Amino acid sequence: MIKTGNHIGFIYSLFLSLFLFASVHSQDITVNASLTETNIFSGEAVRLDVKVTGQSINSIDRPGMPNIDGLRWLSGSTSTAQNFSYVNGRPSVSYTYGYQFIAQAPGTYIFPALEISVNGANYSTKELSFKVLDPKTIDSGDAERSPDIYVRLEPSNANPVVGEQVTADIVLYFKSEVEVSSYNASPGWKAEGFWKEELENRQQASATSTIINGVRYQRALLLQYAIFPTKSGKLTLSPYELIVQVRQRNRRRDIFSFGLGQERKELATLPVTINVSPLPELSNAMFSGGVGNFSITRSINPKKAYVGESVEVTTTITGQGNIPLIVKPDYEYPETLELYNPQENSTITRANRQIGGTKIFTDILIARNEGTFEIPETNIAFYSPSRKRYNTIKLPTLTLEAERDPRSAVLSDTELRFNVKPITGLANWVSTKKEPLQTQRWIWWLFASPLLVLGVAFGWKTYQDKMNSDTAFSRSQKAKDKAFGELKKAEGQTDLKIGYNHIQKALNQFISDKLNLPLAGLSNQQLADALKEHVADVTSEEVKRLLDKCDTIAYAPNASIEGLELDIQKAQELIKQIGKLV
Amino acid sequence: MSLIFKSILFSFFMVMGVQAQQSPQLLFDEANTLLEKNQFADAMNIYRQIEKSQQVSGALFLNMGISATQVDSLGLAKYYFLKSTMFETTSESATEAIEYVESQFSRQSATLPKLPWDKAVDWLKDGPSAFGVFFISFGLLVLVVGFVLLKWFNIFNFKKLNTVVSSLSITCILILILAFYVDYVDQRYSEAVIITTEVQVKQKADESADLVSLGYEGYSITVDHKISKEASGWIYIRLGNGQFGWIKSSGVKIL
Repeated sequence: MIKTGNHIGFIYSLFLSLFLFASVHSQDITVNASLTETNIFSGEAVRLDVKVTGQSINSIDRPGMPNIDGLRWLSGSTSTAQNFSYVNGRPSVSYTYGYQFIAQAPGTYIFPALEISVNGANYSTKELSFKVLDPKTIDSGDAERSPDIYVRLEPSNANPVVGEQVTADIVLYFKSEVEVSSYNASPGWKAEGFWKEELENRQQASATSTIINGVRYQRALLLQYAIFPTKSGKLTLSPYELIVQVRQRNRRRDIFSFGLGQERKELATLPVTINVSPLPELSNAMFSGGVGNFSITRSINPKKAYVGESVEVTTTITGQGNIPLIVKPDYEYPETLELYNPQENSTITRANRQIGGTKIFTDILIARNEGTFEIPETNIAFYSPSRKRYNTIKLPTLTLEAERDPRSAVLSDTELRFNVKPITGLANWVSTKKEPLQTQRWIWWLFASPLLVLGVAFGWKTYQDKMNSDTAFSRSQKAKDKAFGELKKAEGQTDLKIGYNHIQKALNQFISDKLNLPLAGLSNQQLADALKEHVADVTSEEVKRLLDKCDTIAYAPNASIEGLELDIQKAQELIKQIGKLV
Repeated sequence: MSLIFKSILFSFFMVMGVQAQQSPQLLFDEANTLLEKNQFADAMNIYRQIEKSQQVSGALFLNMGISATQVDSLGLAKYYFLKSTMFETTSESATEAIEYVESQFSRQSATLPKLPWDKAVDWLKDGPSAFGVFFISFGLLVLVVGFVLLKWFNIFNFKKLNTVVSSLSITCILILILAFYVDYVDQRYSEAVIITTEVQVKQKADESADLVSLGYEGYSITVDHKISKEASGWIYIRLGNGQFGWIKSSGVKIL
């Protein structure tokens, strides 16, 4: 009989041993993080290596990369390396993860601890301190370290005039222990405010030795550009970016380069400011837009042509300078010569750090009529930066003789007939002065005149209607005329009684009409009292006195014709006075 | 005495009238003599001098067009012939000349037919003109005022007089608005002719702006003076095919 209890104990012991063995092994796992450089220049590349080492590593969860202040992670450039070794007779394996970063703004920063899971257990790296240095300090000699490699954009002239060529050199500086195997320029370098042209660059750049701030560097001119400012002012050349493959001669072998010791670095130049001056004023010549040294010629071909045949006026500008920026000269052609689509051709040379070449402008002309035509002499100028003044070239007069093609006579007679004859007698002349309708005042007056007539008619109609319908108004309006009519009768009367009777009648009627009182039955006192409400007391009393006199004139002992005339005048004055007030 | 005064006054106005007409006519005769001698450029210079004096005639523009066909671009000739069509006396000859000039252009512009409203406004502009429309409105206003006055003073009246007056008043106001609209259109828009071989029609009044189209010599375009004021040296135009854009003012002659 077999004792199964011993077997179970053995299996249990075996599992326990394995578990303990595994636990011992897990304690051997180490996780470290390090930066390839802790003093990094802004724009320089740096790599974070996360290394996991242990005797038995079954699974690793690669750490995610958080946002790091002062660094920008190049997410596509992460690499992995694996290494086996024997330490104290025991096998050991290490996994290294390389993360590429580009240093950003200068300052002191902390790279935070990263969490990593190995064999299901979590491990953490230590925080790393690093500095991002200002690349400008390299040139000023204040840099805290001298970088192994950097690139600069070096213009040939920092104070050009508009259109003058400036040669921009892209120069790589690197220490002797650095080997540069290749470089690639990042496409899309913008030189805003400039027109740029790549010069003839060597296939392989050669390096010369130079000492910068006490450190020996190799200086290699990689690329050259000719740049031409198109406007004046302070213009900034944006950073030029390069990717270089380098190998450190004295450093230990790089595990990421498969034993070749190669490393990929992204470099950028500092922005460079160019102070561009405007061109001076030009008089008595046409500016071609050329800045440099040129020769300019002009020719016509053919010099004799038929009417309707095309003739070419060619302007050739050759030399060194901003050839592509030269503009077509505008010549004054005789009216009979019709200008068709102008053409331009240019060839550019890039040798000897200088842009040059030839630009040819061709004006195609067609004579519309026969005759001898002259294209007048023209002064054309370009600016010479070396002499700091304009050079003016005189283009001589060109002559074209145009005659009718005898073969085209039949065609022109039949197809191109123009039968309209000029009018050479008297003509009817009109003025072209034309003003907007609304600005002409008489238009408004004219339009307003019927409305004014309507307004006046309306007033008259209203008056008439009131005269017909309103008795008081009608009496008041007619009172004065009636009273004066009555007084007229009194004038020249020899009979005093009749004369004063007319005065009394005039006053009575006037006051009654004006105040809308009954025509009869009112005493002199009542009339005076009614009048008092509208006129001064003196006036009403005067009216009463005159009315009383009219009543008592038959008994007046010393009445005379003169007295009557005076009283007529008095009555007229009183009527006018009352008429104004009532 | 009165007869002497009237005679002096008549003579004064006659002399003034003759003097006013003498200057352009004299120059015109001089230019015509040069034209007959085939000295087209010299004749054209004198014609231009007359044009500058703001005294014009259909004959002047016709002769300028004829000179232009000989010495200058056909675009310019078309421009002068179009000006000449605006005068009754030369309209027929100028139309015939335009037909000839049009046949000489290497490129012909596609032209969209005008909308009925635009056609109507053009007809009013070229026919009775804004002044004519205004006087129609004025006539209606006088009629309205006359009817009202006759009614007020009981001289003339009929049952539906109020309706007639109201209708006439509304018509009068509408025609008055139409007169001002025609005048506004006349002032804002002008026909023009491209006189250079080629002009670039840009999206904005800027050399570097995107190209909308190309305009060739002889193309008839419409200029919007109101929008054109926004940019000096440029004019805002409508091409015959309905496209809008900016061109430099130097290559265009505005009618």
